[in-house]
Amino acid sequence: MKLQHLAGALTLGAALCLASGCVTSTVDQMVFNEPSQGIGNSTVVILGRRHASDYDTEPDFVECVGDHIASGDNSIEVIGELEFVNDFYPWFEPRTAPLQLADFERMIARQPVVAEKMASLRTQYMIWIDGSTVRGDSSGSMTCAVGPGGGGCFGFGTWSNDANYEATIWDFTEHAEVGRISTTATGQSYMPAVVIPIPIIAPVQGTACDGIGDQLLQFLSSRY
Amino acid sequence: MSGLMTSVPDSKPLLWLAGALLLALLTGCGPAEVVVKGDFPAPTMEKLPLTIGVWYDPGFANHEFFDEAKSRKDSSWLVKSGEAQVQMWDTLLAGMFARVVPMSGRPGPGQMNPAVDAVLVPEIAELQYAIPAHTNVKVYEIWIRYHLQLVTTGGDPIADWTMPAYGKTPTAFLQTDQAAVNLAAVMALRDAGANFATSFARVPAVQAWLQQRLGNEREASL
Repeated sequence: MKLQHLAGALTLGAALCLASGCVTSTVDQMVFNEPSQGIGNSTVVILGRRHASDYDTEPDFVECVGDHIASGDNSIEVIGELEFVNDFYPWFEPRTAPLQLADFERMIARQPVVAEKMASLRTQYMIWIDGSTVRGDSSGSMTCAVGPGGGGCFGFGTWSNDANYEATIWDFTEHAEVGRISTTATGQSYMPAVVIPIPIIAPVQGTACDGIGDQLLQFLSSRY
Repeated sequence: MSGLMTSVPDSKPLLWLAGALLLALLTGCGPAEVVVKGDFPAPTMEKLPLTIGVWYDPGFANHEFFDEAKSRKDSSWLVKSGEAQVQMWDTLLAGMFARVVPMSGRPGPGQMNPAVDAVLVPEIAELQYAIPAHTNVKVYEIWIRYHLQLVTTGGDPIADWTMPAYGKTPTAFLQTDQAAVNLAAVMALRDAGANFATSFARVPAVQAWLQQRLGNEREASL
């Protein structure tokens, strides 16, 4: 009987895996000074790191994490990345964005107008997300043909995607970096084709977004 | 009465179709053209208590970059960045200085211009671009090297320096080559603005001039 249950579970797992691609993910976190009562009427801004030469943190990933937090606890106000970067131009461009909290504090000490604007936004936490999702190994082959009677494809392709992100939390009240959360996710996507190619895409970036978003919610929200 | 009714087919639609086909073919042969368009935010920073003049040479204000195709499978490119350059520099300088005055001519002896503390003359020394067809990397990039001059209204040099700017479009998913090049150019212009705003007071000759104009205390806070 137990063997039947195990077989059933394995079949269900395989079916789910095939329907959406397989993703494995891990999340690590190290946080201090968690606000036990939540962040009150303060705001949070989430920004992507874009200073590396070989990758950029995707704006849609940053937006996804912000949406995850805002939908998990609607009392948390998350300021949009583009809106913030435009409001504080030129201080958060790839060339000028502060890499350390001390750099940021030095900058606002020299630019009182930036400090005033930050105060008006009531921003207590600035969260920097650094990382990207890259396409890994791929294999398989597919042939497509078109003739007078129609067309179609035949074959099979598979590829992997790897997501690797780290979120760093700056607390302006404590004047300190209060946490780092990292997540990795790996997934295999498939594309079988018998006449019509059917892509089965592994939601690697979405899984990484949920992983990092959940941990940030636990940090920021009193409900979690 | 019997007869065969014949009608001469209206040739106008055929002519239109032929014209449209010819136009499409000619368009396919022409260079890929990008007129750079974007929004540039005003800088949030302490304004320098100076009246700065700005002069855009016609070569700058109407700047175009043309790159001829190297082979038959490549296409030529024409990137028109002049209008966007002027838009970005006007917005930037208005946020950096207490007052910005456009000059009526290039500063020089005998040239009648409004009285200002100094005149900035930006020029594009070089512009390069890269698209995936060139590099096999899914990134669209633009590099600009500016030649910047700060002069008196009489044309005497105060400072003369070069400044790089770089912009890239990391992903061009669902975008045309033209849209991706435009976005890379807008990013390069934003980078130029950010670089200028944060490095202007650190250019040694500018620093010395600011010290003379504003005194040590004010200059040190920049």
